[in-house]
Amino acid sequence: MRITAMPTDHLASLRLLTWLSPSFPVGAFSYSHGLEYAVHDGAVTSRTSLAEWIGDLVAQGSFRNDAILLAEAWHAAVAGDLPRLSHAAERAEAMALSRERHLETMDQGRAFLAAARAWIAPPEWDFAMPYPVAVGAVAGTMKVGLSDVCVAYLHAAAANLVATAIRLVPLGQSEGTTVIASLESRIIATAGAAAGSSLADLGSATFMADMVAMRHETMGVRLFRS
Amino acid sequence: MKPASPSAQFQRVDAEGRIAVKHTPRGSAIDRLYQSGAAKIRFPSPANKSTCEAVLINTAGGLTGGDRLSWTIAAGEGAGLTCVSQACERIYRSPDGEPAHLSIKLEIGRNARLDWMPQETILFDGSALNRGLEADLAADARLLIVEAFVFGRAAMGETVRRASLRDQWVVRRDGKVILADNVRFEGEVDDMLQRRAVAAGDRALATIALMAPDAEEHLDRLRAKFPTLATSAFAGKLLARLTARGAYELRQTLVPLVSLLSGGSEVPKVWAA
Repeated sequence: MRITAMPTDHLASLRLLTWLSPSFPVGAFSYSHGLEYAVHDGAVTSRTSLAEWIGDLVAQGSFRNDAILLAEAWHAAVAGDLPRLSHAAERAEAMALSRERHLETMDQGRAFLAAARAWIAPPEWDFAMPYPVAVGAVAGTMKVGLSDVCVAYLHAAAANLVATAIRLVPLGQSEGTTVIASLESRIIATAGAAAGSSLADLGSATFMADMVAMRHETMGVRLFRS
Repeated sequence: MKPASPSAQFQRVDAEGRIAVKHTPRGSAIDRLYQSGAAKIRFPSPANKSTCEAVLINTAGGLTGGDRLSWTIAAGEGAGLTCVSQACERIYRSPDGEPAHLSIKLEIGRNARLDWMPQETILFDGSALNRGLEADLAADARLLIVEAFVFGRAAMGETVRRASLRDQWVVRRDGKVILADNVRFEGEVDDMLQRRAVAAGDRALATIALMAPDAEEHLDRLRAKFPTLATSAFAGKLLARLTARGAYELRQTLVPLVSLLSGGSEVPKVWAA
């Protein structure tokens, strides 16, 4: 059988599956984005309240911001614009409003770039990148389509919180899959909008989600680092 | 404000106020002052002369779509300044959806200190506001930001069904961005406020940010005095977010909180009103 060149869209899909897989070594499972406190505090107690919580992060909260920052990094990488990428990293890091939110995004960003060395390791990337910026930078440089990356990133973020809630609430596995299915249209909408967004579109309404992320620091016994 | 006849122009607010304070042997004093349009600045005599107090006034009584208001504030080397507003900024319905524009530029020099704490901004149904806050700090400068929004007035039973609020902060220390907060409420705001991840039905929201070399040292005392407050401290920053049913309930936490962060000194009188 003749070996033909792999179609680029298959290669891109394969790479996204690898990079945003729960088993990619960024330690995503150890961060709850404050959800552990939301469960502890009674704000998330069921599959309905979980779907609402994650849906708001995707549509009008920190995950929407992440998608916009990812897009900015992607554009910078595609253009080979190092100052623009560095600025995106600086701005994104400054958006972390709590010690644990900062840890969550910077640690995962660092781990993502380290693991991505199997594909690329530009020496000029000598500055720290928060997680969405790292993903956008790698994906842009490797020519993976932007809206595909945004969909994959948002899916991974949402799926990680569903897995977290299954452990914490607890929820059944089929309740978890129902939640993920119900988030599909929001994920697609946010990813599509982010692809055409700029930093001027950054903005979140999820005050209470930010607040539980801060309160999480005061929890005595906890399973998650954020 | 409707025009008297179709040919009459909407009267737009286009206002700008600028203050710079400097350190003198007698304490902090006004260095430069500029007022144009509806922007006015008053200086009550502070009890503590090491810090100037400036009261910012919008004589138009509020803002609506198309209005522009900007404040440029500078604390020179070794100087101290507290900025408050005389009244809550009111953002009225925008007839055509165009936003009011509010721009704040803060500059804090070496060993200088600025407390930026205007009273809460009240957004009415159908209002639209684009706000930008930009601050530049010297390496050892101190900036305290206390910013609050209220959607409608609880005491009057007002509900803000729809509004557009965009607020972007960029704070730099020595040229590097250290804090960037972006708030965005767009569309069916009352529905959004009911959500558990947003405000669980509260209508007043506030963010406090203290950026100072010793900012993190306040955390333990803050948590001891306000055990349910959402707050965090790292990298020379102390941050807090809070929500409350309305402005009155918000102030019950904000006033003592700000007093603690100001080293126990009294909060300017306008906040007690």
